[in-house]
Amino acid sequence: MSLTAKAWLTQLRQLPLTERFRIMNVCGGHERSITQAGLRGALPTQIELIPGPGCPVCVCPEEDIYQAIELALNEEITLLAFGDMLRVPVNVSKQQPRSLDQAHGAGADIRPIASPIEALKLAKSDPNREFVFFAAGFETTTAPVASLLVEGIPDNLSILLSGRLTWPAVSMLLESDTPGFDALVAPGHVATVMGPEEWQFVVEKHQLPAAVAGFTSESLLAATYSVCRQSLEDRRFLDNCYAELVKPEGNPSARAHLSAALEVVDANWRGIGTIPQSGFSLHADYAQWDARLRYPEYDKADRKRAGEMPAGCDCAQVVLGKKYPNQCKLYGTACVPRNPVGPCMVSDEGACRIWWSGGVRPD
Amino acid sequence: MCLGIPMQIKEIDGFTARCEAKGVEREVSLFMLQHEALATDDFVVVHVGYAIQKVSPQEAQSAWEIYDEMLTKMDPQTDA
Repeated sequence: MSLTAKAWLTQLRQLPLTERFRIMNVCGGHERSITQAGLRGALPTQIELIPGPGCPVCVCPEEDIYQAIELALNEEITLLAFGDMLRVPVNVSKQQPRSLDQAHGAGADIRPIASPIEALKLAKSDPNREFVFFAAGFETTTAPVASLLVEGIPDNLSILLSGRLTWPAVSMLLESDTPGFDALVAPGHVATVMGPEEWQFVVEKHQLPAAVAGFTSESLLAATYSVCRQSLEDRRFLDNCYAELVKPEGNPSARAHLSAALEVVDANWRGIGTIPQSGFSLHADYAQWDARLRYPEYDKADRKRAGEMPAGCDCAQVVLGKKYPNQCKLYGTACVPRNPVGPCMVSDEGACRIWWSGGVRPD
Repeated sequence: MCLGIPMQIKEIDGFTARCEAKGVEREVSLFMLQHEALATDDFVVVHVGYAIQKVSPQEAQSAWEIYDEMLTKMDPQTDA
């Protein structure tokens, strides 16, 4: 990156922007960098930065979390999950555990992990115990899960996979009548794994400016400048402002593991509904490690209540970039990180949590 | 969860490496970088325990300068 953040801001302020220009990001890491650096306040007022579907924990279906809770409570297993999944509440009566954390308090063996490698080590260290790894994540996090399967896992470890692809959610928004944004900043680490090419549709099919960004202010401002300039010059292309990591075709080993171990399927997004070809499930060759097949009685069809967020919670609107976090009535009143109502206030990648941590308070 | 941390490889044993950043050592899987020739002292970006890309020492250094800045701005009190 040749310019400093200050120099990029100067360039941005010199652009002849006359109308509102809305740029969506789809990565919790991007949103955190933007908020912590205070980029919104530093940009020209015409430029609006909108947090979009960038939080895998926020869109993890309520029924998957419920399934993990029930498995942990009723089976002789150890349930492993990434830490920020543990406090996400589900819709049950107040007498029942509403989160994995509460299930742990009720006696279930639930442990937070930071890496799939930990799941492997724990399962190997106790071969007579069953372990279930509840793995929610976008492509960057799902690829290591695929690698874990390809490298080989013991029989006493199974995967409850809730993996999602990022671009189909953006595609769904762009196919709708009201996408709500004029340009896209594409996620840097998703593109590192999958390659930048999968974002080409934004430019080619929808004629919107797009740029892949990294996580520094410099890279994010470079991408912001790029999409503004593309629009002003009426010359749209997919820019790569994170070339140090994002290579053409992405990470070939990771993509090979994803193809070998997982299949792309239609998938439910919490509060949003089913998005075609937007999720991962275990490939038939790896069925014996699929927790959904190992414990079929917990994969309850009657629990599939697409669109459900807690009452009054606007997480779904926030995830889709239709509302800003502080436009939700619960933000900062009934819903705070210590006592979250919706998943966007729980996860480190949730826009509500990020805005709260960044000091944004209710209007 | 999409955060990637640049780390330096200290030792390689098959697809497992001992990596270091800021004096902290971690075991890192190189299984997702089988297509890269990796050696001791190389830098990789690590996500949930897996190296996802090789980076130059300069890129690792500049990424850490930014992360240091971000970490100093993080105030745990505001998360309450």
